[in-house]
Amino acid sequence: MDSLINAAGRALAAGDPLGALKRVALRQDAAALALRGIAMAQLGDFAKAKTLLKSAARAFSPREAVARARCVVAEAEIALVSRDLGWPEKALRAARATLDAHGDRVNAAYAGSIEARRLILIGRLDEAERLLAGFDPAPLPPVARVAHELAAAGIAVRRLRTKAARSAFGRASLAAYEANIPALRAEVEAASLVLNTPVGRKIAQASETLLPLDEVETLLASGALVIDACRNVVREADTVVSLATRPVLFALARTLAEAWPADASRETLLRRAFRARHADESHRARLRVEMGRLRAELGAFAEINATAAGFALTPLGASEVVVLAPPVEEEHGAVLAFLADGESWSSSALAIALGASARTVQRAMEELSAEKKVQAIGRGRARRWMMPPVTGFPTVLLLPGPLPSD
Amino acid sequence: MKRAAAEILREYGPFPGVKTVAGVTFDGEKVWFASGDKLNALDPGSGATLRSIDVAAHAGTAFDGRHLYQIAEERIQKIDPQTGEVIATIPAPGNGGDSGLTWAEGSLWVGEYRARKIHQIDPETGKVIRTIETKRVVTGVTWVDGELWHGTWEGDESDLRRIDPATGEVLQTLDMPPGMGVSGLESDGAGCFFCGGGNSGKVRAVRRPGYAPTVANK
Repeated sequence: MDSLINAAGRALAAGDPLGALKRVALRQDAAALALRGIAMAQLGDFAKAKTLLKSAARAFSPREAVARARCVVAEAEIALVSRDLGWPEKALRAARATLDAHGDRVNAAYAGSIEARRLILIGRLDEAERLLAGFDPAPLPPVARVAHELAAAGIAVRRLRTKAARSAFGRASLAAYEANIPALRAEVEAASLVLNTPVGRKIAQASETLLPLDEVETLLASGALVIDACRNVVREADTVVSLATRPVLFALARTLAEAWPADASRETLLRRAFRARHADESHRARLRVEMGRLRAELGAFAEINATAAGFALTPLGASEVVVLAPPVEEEHGAVLAFLADGESWSSSALAIALGASARTVQRAMEELSAEKKVQAIGRGRARRWMMPPVTGFPTVLLLPGPLPSD
Repeated sequence: MKRAAAEILREYGPFPGVKTVAGVTFDGEKVWFASGDKLNALDPGSGATLRSIDVAAHAGTAFDGRHLYQIAEERIQKIDPQTGEVIATIPAPGNGGDSGLTWAEGSLWVGEYRARKIHQIDPETGKVIRTIETKRVVTGVTWVDGELWHGTWEGDESDLRRIDPATGEVLQTLDMPPGMGVSGLESDGAGCFFCGGGNSGKVRAVRRPGYAPTVANK
């Protein structure tokens, strides 16, 4: 590398992108393009950064495979931070293999952590988990370790593993302290709040309590029969029955659970499940049919018996019946409940699940998206919706310092 | 053309606080190497670093018998090794694209990395006296016994090569082991080359063909 490239690389590593640009602004060689790309990314001009890094990757000679691969990794991180999730996974994987083969372990590990963060973002938690499981963040520089630990914490939170989440946040916090980047420390602090803020509401025998994550975990493991309105499932310890695509059945189950140990009246059940204001004979008939269906679904957990006024739930093994609801229930609560599984959904799938028209779902998504409660991935027919991850991960760019190969 | 594998006599470093080695020279006793914001003096016998000078040091380093010369950004600084003071500055011929630096026969010789050139310049003014075209990127330059050697390093491939100063023709190459690169080059005037190792943060001694395999320690 030449003198100005080294000087610019040092400026970047010291967090001075303008100083780096000043030194290589007019140069078109590969190393200069790469440094300019990273500097532009740090200055927030992602579009220009992407173009520059692409041309840099092309400008490096075939002999400089490592430098090329590093450009691809930097580009992938920019795509991730700018939430451009249609980014080709294959290119990143190939770059990771190249870096591994050439013994650039730090950047290879970094590429892996970017891959995992992207998988979490697009709601492919199982894959992300697999990727992180076989992954040792120890050799990474502190900034990259922060990203890795936040990703691990994000998955643990999703999976309701509070202890694992807590220790991952702890490690993230230490690494952020070591990295000494204020924005990053703030990011970790903000993400860790999820452990201390209510994430759910427990409704049982006419009283409500707000629960933090660890108490939700305890509740789900307690063996109580939980009607989980955050995910539209019914669970008892490890047995889970999903009613995510059966909103009527779920509404009935929840109404019965909220009335437990008493029964729920037909009027209440009809109002909650069918929005019916008065019960006529056809409604009653439909209620009987739906109750039959719910009986079949919940057969492993509970009996549903007719009473004089309506229906009552009687758990088979559990000593208690509890409803777990989101802390705030809102107009589009049902949509959010589906999205709360962390997966990405298409509008048409949501319409089927909600039993609503495509247009209704579209409107709901537009409103929620404007409130930043959901995010869209992809365009046109490939568009998918999901909730912003419980804990995201750095929105600050963590690009490694000087790129050029030596 | 003669071709052989470079024989590494000794590795020094990595050194605390040194992330990258950008240039190397030899003052007859000590190896001086540039590490971005410092010039460091290394005793090649004991391997100890003796002192350092705080000065911008982004590429090649040279010694003329009294002063050190150090490339920083797009200039060449002349430094008094006793006081560490920069006593003069001239423009570098490659305008910041410069890499290797050595002193010989009253001139400074500057490698221009991407242009694949070695410029002979006037140390007082920086004026280019002549330019030698090479075949590969230049990452270090040195003269020894009338032989002009330069280092090259691209991706995984790096070597030391002796070229004909008149034509640029390659007369001899010493291939570095895979994964080791040359960033900065200086001969000890006898049987050994000192090479900077870029981001490995190391300095390496390489045997000059035809000489006993020892590191000079005068």
